[in-house]
Amino acid sequence: MKNKQDFPNINERKPEGQKPDGSNYRVLIVDDSMFVTKQISQILTSEGFDVVGTASDGQEGYEMYKEQYPNVDLVTMDITMPRMDGVTALEKIIEFDKDAKIIMISALGKQDLVKKSLLIGAKNYIVKPLDRAKVLERILMSIK
Amino acid sequence: MRVEYINPFVEAAFNILKEVVDSDIKRGELYLKSTSQPVLGVAAIVGLAGDVEGRVLFDMNADTALGIASKMNGEDLTEFDDLAKATITELANMITAQAVTKLHELGFTFDLTPPAIFTGENMEVSDSGVEALIVPIELSYGKMEINVAVRER
Repeated sequence: MKNKQDFPNINERKPEGQKPDGSNYRVLIVDDSMFVTKQISQILTSEGFDVVGTASDGQEGYEMYKEQYPNVDLVTMDITMPRMDGVTALEKIIEFDKDAKIIMISALGKQDLVKKSLLIGAKNYIVKPLDRAKVLERILMSIK
Repeated sequence: MRVEYINPFVEAAFNILKEVVDSDIKRGELYLKSTSQPVLGVAAIVGLAGDVEGRVLFDMNADTALGIASKMNGEDLTEFDDLAKATITELANMITAQAVTKLHELGFTFDLTPPAIFTGENMEVSDSGVEALIVPIELSYGKMEINVAVRER
């Protein structure tokens, strides 16, 4: 009698966080909210992304990006943060690496800052509250 | 206090709480208070300054806050730790951001402070010269009161 292993798994799918070469996309999360950082991290790791670092303000995020360069494929960047806000950090990272892929995380009502970020070079944005489908869709649009 | 200031907060609280916490929520009767009011135990406060000034308080007891934070994190949190505080702060942030967007659309311009969390027993809040309007919201985790005290400048 044939058993389970003898049949191909037709439902098998590659995790979204995997590159065509089989390695994982590497993400740096910059957000001052422990809750949002955890939320994004859980969504991404469940799809096979590697979270290579978390920073709680723009300055720390910029420094981490430089330290880890070129081993970061995507940055999620909160807009409102203490010490250095997300738009300034975006500007500094783009100045350092014009090909950096950065996606802004925004509360509702920050349209002006989102527009400014897109003009500076952010690839996309996500408005909170975050849900899994929205986060993955925007991140995949930016990364692939 | 003009109802135009209150409705956006009530609508935003309903939308956000429904989306991230509990689809089965009910609004209680709103009431006005002009003297000091007790705070339930965990309160997130957001300040407003501009055409409209004052503050909005999201007030609940510790068990309700923990229940909401647990639901939003998808895990049982047993103490009101930094993660739970960050979660309630984020909830206040999302509700306020949605309400303020609506108020800006209505033509009011003002800035907000980031939410701050207060926790403790026997706390009171007093606002001089402005009445507070309280909107109770019933969730399956307990009661949250949205306590709005704002005035036009």
